[in-house]
Amino acid sequence: MAFDPQKFISESIVQIRATVGDKRAIIAVSGGVDSSVAAALASRALGKNVLCVFVDTGLMRKGEAENVRAALEPLGVNLKVVDASREFLGALKNTSEPEKKRKIIGEKFIRVFESEAKRFGASFLVQGTIAPDWIESGAGLRDTIKSHHNVGGLPKKMKMRLVEPLRELYKDEVRKVGQALGLPQEIYSRQPFPGPGLAVRIMGKITPKKVEIVREACAIVEEEIELAAKEGKMERPWQYFAVLLPIKSVGVLGDARAYGYAIAVRAVDSIDGMTAKASRIAPEVLEKIADRITRKLKEDVNRVVYDITSKPPATIEWE
Amino acid sequence: MQVAIIDFGSQWTHRIHRTLKYLGVNSEILPVSAPLKKILMADALVFSGGAIRIGLGESKKIGNARKYLENFEGPIMGVCAGQQFIGMHFGGKARPAAGPEYGKVELIVDDHDELFEGLPGKFTVGASHNDEVVDTPGFSVLAHSKDCSNHAFKSNSRPIYGTLFHPEVEHTEHGDKIYANFLKIVKR
Repeated sequence: MAFDPQKFISESIVQIRATVGDKRAIIAVSGGVDSSVAAALASRALGKNVLCVFVDTGLMRKGEAENVRAALEPLGVNLKVVDASREFLGALKNTSEPEKKRKIIGEKFIRVFESEAKRFGASFLVQGTIAPDWIESGAGLRDTIKSHHNVGGLPKKMKMRLVEPLRELYKDEVRKVGQALGLPQEIYSRQPFPGPGLAVRIMGKITPKKVEIVREACAIVEEEIELAAKEGKMERPWQYFAVLLPIKSVGVLGDARAYGYAIAVRAVDSIDGMTAKASRIAPEVLEKIADRITRKLKEDVNRVVYDITSKPPATIEWE
Repeated sequence: MQVAIIDFGSQWTHRIHRTLKYLGVNSEILPVSAPLKKILMADALVFSGGAIRIGLGESKKIGNARKYLENFEGPIMGVCAGQQFIGMHFGGKARPAAGPEYGKVELIVDDHDELFEGLPGKFTVGASHNDEVVDTPGFSVLAHSKDCSNHAFKSNSRPIYGTLFHPEVEHTEHGDKIYANFLKIVKR
């Protein structure tokens, strides 16, 4: 008995209506698969009583605000973009511990959503939380692997009630729901992106400069792997990105000594994100990624490595 | 049919629920503090894995699970820490495995009856553990790997089974078939 997205959609619309009634809700959207699907479901259930809020944390992918608009406009929902990048980067300054980063980000998100909810007159917050988010956030006997910003990163006191229609689902099921809801394929088949954004792809302290470096490196990895997939050199992996490491190593650039950061390339195959294995990327594709990253970021990066670990023992993201 | 999944705190407990759902079977995830009365209403039990190290005396944390084993007469399946707990409960010895296994492991099946019915002699499974439990009196080993001599076992007197690997994860080939075989035992 496979998963039936249509049945899921009709059941969750009934449930969302029963919970929210004729009150108003805001929907937290990030441009990712989960929040876009949650937004589509909630707006189908609640009509004009919803407002989508996209928070620019300053830690988003290249061109993300435009992507979110393109994703949500076809749904006919209201979208508000809030630029909170100075607040987020300010709060994260001097923080290098991954769990601390996640908790700071979780709390900041909620404060922004609370003020938007007040303005819109909403008492509910719709989130695209899926099963691995609450599983990995820990509870009872279950260890905390990482505090997902939308679960373990939530502040203890909140003024809104949460609505999480996708809580029982895994990513592959969410994609099926997105497809059944008529979302564009670019949205429902998009690779996952962590809620805390690039903050967890910068090992150690976050600076605006490091955000720029890792954002550019991520964009190059995405472009090259998508190109290789399009050319039939490989299947498009489940997730693929760059991580900025806090170590420096010696290189030689134009006959001069260089001393710069290393970037780790990560690409994994998975179905549900709960287990994963490193993707087999053709050597020439990896080489091209290394060339482009070290040329484009020559002031800062002189080494690129490929992460070949499975989950477990590693996780997909590094933090 | 209703299966109670006893949650020992695994990252993959909810995956067991999903696997059973895809096999058309209802299941409920219950904490180890659930009252025995509730457990006795189920048709079968699955003990999930978890981060607790059974062999290191951490089995204090397992709440009422001992009572479930002693009083529930239907089929029981233990996974990873769940399997180790069952093995220890019936007198087996815990020890660190020859090598810890994280990720993919090659499983060698020694007994194709019941749990491994219709499956190949060797296949890849997903594991995530440090320890193993061996020499459980009254239990037969069904499969092993290079580093673990007891990767699956069954009781010789009661319908109790266990796997040290995780049949519910994607890394495990034929994982759904293993649960389907267990459900076949439940139906019989």
